Amino acid sequence: MNLEKVVFGFFVLLAATLNFGFFIGDIADPELHNEYELFAAVVVSLIATVLKFGDRTQIGAVHLATSLVADLQLIAATVVFAYAAHVSTEGLTASSTAAVVSLSGGALLANMVSVVLLVTETVSFHRS
Amino acid sequence: MARSAGFWDRLTGRSQAPPPRARRHRSVVTGAQASATIFVIMRRMRVPLVTLILIFAVSVLGLTLIPGQDDAGRPWDVGFFDAFYFMSYTATTIGFGELPYPFTAAQRLWVMGSIYLTVIGWAYAISALLSLLQDRAFRSALALQHVTRKVARLREPFLLIAGYGQTGESLGRQFDALGRRFTVVDIADARIDALELNTHHADVPGLAGDARNPHDLEVAGLGHPWCEGVLALTDDDEANLAVTMTAALLRPDLPVVTRTISPVMAHRMAAFGEPTVINPFDRFGDHLRLALRAPASYQLMSWLEAGPGAPLPERAVPPAPGRWVVCGYGRFGRHFTADLRAEGLEVTAIDLHPDDDDPDLLVGDGSDPEVLARADLAGAVGFVAGTDDDTTNLSLVAEARDANPDLFVAARRNQPASAVLFDAMDLDAVLIPTEVVAQEAYARLSTPLLWRFVRELSGCSDAWSAELVDRLTATCGERLEALWKVRLDDDEAPSLGPWLRRGELRLGDLLRDPETREDRLDAVPLVALRGEECTLAPGADFVLHPGDQLLFVGRPSERRALSTSLTDPSAPAYLVTGRREPSGWLWRRLSRRTPAPAG
Repeated sequence: MNLEKVVFGFFVLLAATLNFGFFIGDIADPELHNEYELFAAVVVSLIATVLKFGDRTQIGAVHLATSLVADLQLIAATVVFAYAAHVSTEGLTASSTAAVVSLSGGALLANMVSVVLLVTETVSFHRS
Repeated sequence: MARSAGFWDRLTGRSQAPPPRARRHRSVVTGAQASATIFVIMRRMRVPLVTLILIFAVSVLGLTLIPGQDDAGRPWDVGFFDAFYFMSYTATTIGFGELPYPFTAAQRLWVMGSIYLTVIGWAYAISALLSLLQDRAFRSALALQHVTRKVARLREPFLLIAGYGQTGESLGRQFDALGRRFTVVDIADARIDALELNTHHADVPGLAGDARNPHDLEVAGLGHPWCEGVLALTDDDEANLAVTMTAALLRPDLPVVTRTISPVMAHRMAAFGEPTVINPFDRFGDHLRLALRAPASYQLMSWLEAGPGAPLPERAVPPAPGRWVVCGYGRFGRHFTADLRAEGLEVTAIDLHPDDDDPDLLVGDGSDPEVLARADLAGAVGFVAGTDDDTTNLSLVAEARDANPDLFVAARRNQPASAVLFDAMDLDAVLIPTEVVAQEAYARLSTPLLWRFVRELSGCSDAWSAELVDRLTATCGERLEALWKVRLDDDEAPSLGPWLRRGELRLGDLLRDPETREDRLDAVPLVALRGEECTLAPGADFVLHPGDQLLFVGRPSERRALSTSLTDPSAPAYLVTGRREPSGWLWRRLSRRTPAPAG
């Protein structure tokens, strides 16, 4: 068992599950989307990205690309969240919540691709 | 039309498609190799970055979880936004203070711990990055990428010089003066640094790498479609052989010029393709023989090979035929002795440790007065100090002059640093192996016509050469002007076509000023090449044919004037007959009404 692979798989999966946990629920209801969960999703996603640095294989490059997409989406979600909660006079409205959650939904898709890549890599490794 | 296209290409920096011959080579460099450094950096930055992210995440999270209060004492929790803001300016040691409200004791306790943590995290990440940037491997990889990019962007013919020592440097200067491009590979970083300090007209991509490595040669442009020649000029025979081999295997179409002082090595090099192998000792013997037989020819040759701007070298007065004394019977001495004997001269060689038993060989230390006395310098006409040590050579020369002030003295110079001393000794001939190689390589590669001229020169009489030197100094002065080649075909001389085909154009007419034909252009034709037939210094009544190649010496203004004659359709008629033919459409129509005179 390769510890590096364990850590890598752990963070890729955790990024996807946290993202999913934040995303699930009525898209416009701020009550159903916990900001701590979004924070955790951002942090884990960033760590997963860094762990993907420096892999020269083709699949490693795609891994990095999906992670960068997820980071971008999640950071955009947090920026919208912060703007709605602290800058905008109306506070966290239904529409701004929907914007945050849909952005995180995009990140979820990228994270899913990452998980699929991880599974594919594992399966093809066992075959060869 | 072809000419104007060439003009626009030159103006816009675009050029015609690269020569098709280059397409068949196999590439040795892959893009992955060049970008490997980036991956190394990213891989090494993994741990510092993850540490930094974790420290930040824990600090921010803790700050949001600890209950706080606003300035009125009401409970108020720090949100993620404020917490991240606070940690950002605290961790980077900017420190705006406790915003938006003063912290409670519990919050301060947490912040105190996180300040130390984040500072350590930052310091760790930044120092890791800085040490990566300082890394030698990383820097050389960056330089490699830089050179790769510069070479790939070259869009004009260039030469690849492997080994940028004295030979490479002086050749590079000459080619640069001619406006030719070149790239350099050298194993010593210091020489590549020197290359960047040199004031070349064009940008010279220089790679600090091993010329024996095909990959490094490839980076320097061996596989580039515009590479037009390879020069292996390192001071290591094995490396030169490796370069010759690599070039012959990967780019069999390229001319290779290489140097060695060992005949065995020359033989091994010749096994790969058809490289030009220059042995400086061998060449120096040839040169000295030429200098003894025809001093003016030798003067002319060394002047032309020195490149544009070179002052006219002095014409040495050769000694009367007689006995020569050669000190140092190593590779150089052996070559030289053989050359002199081939010339029918008697030679006494002196060496401390001779390898073979030559009857005329004196065994002993050349600097020993007794040995020199045995060599009987008073009865000799020439003396050669040919050891591989400059100090010994200089002292030998001094002793020999002491014994016989009328000797013709030649010495071998090994180190560039001793140039001043050799100059001060005022020797009759100095052998500088590196310069011999540089001049020969220059003559071969600058233009094939010059090499042709130099080769044919040994068959000409001394009086002929002296006359040509006088002509050159009369038209161009004491410093050599630029050499330029003209090929009389439809591309380079579109206006001459009909005249050349009728065989009515003489060289003397072509070399008239296209504005006032009574004035002659101050350009000296050195060679006319027609097919394989070569005419040295063709005269004014030399009839030009289509496809002839001519090599001229002259100032740039004369070259411009000549190129006017070559391209202006009305010029040849004026040059030959003195009659101005209208070149514009209207005037041509008008003049057609008057009956044209026969001819």
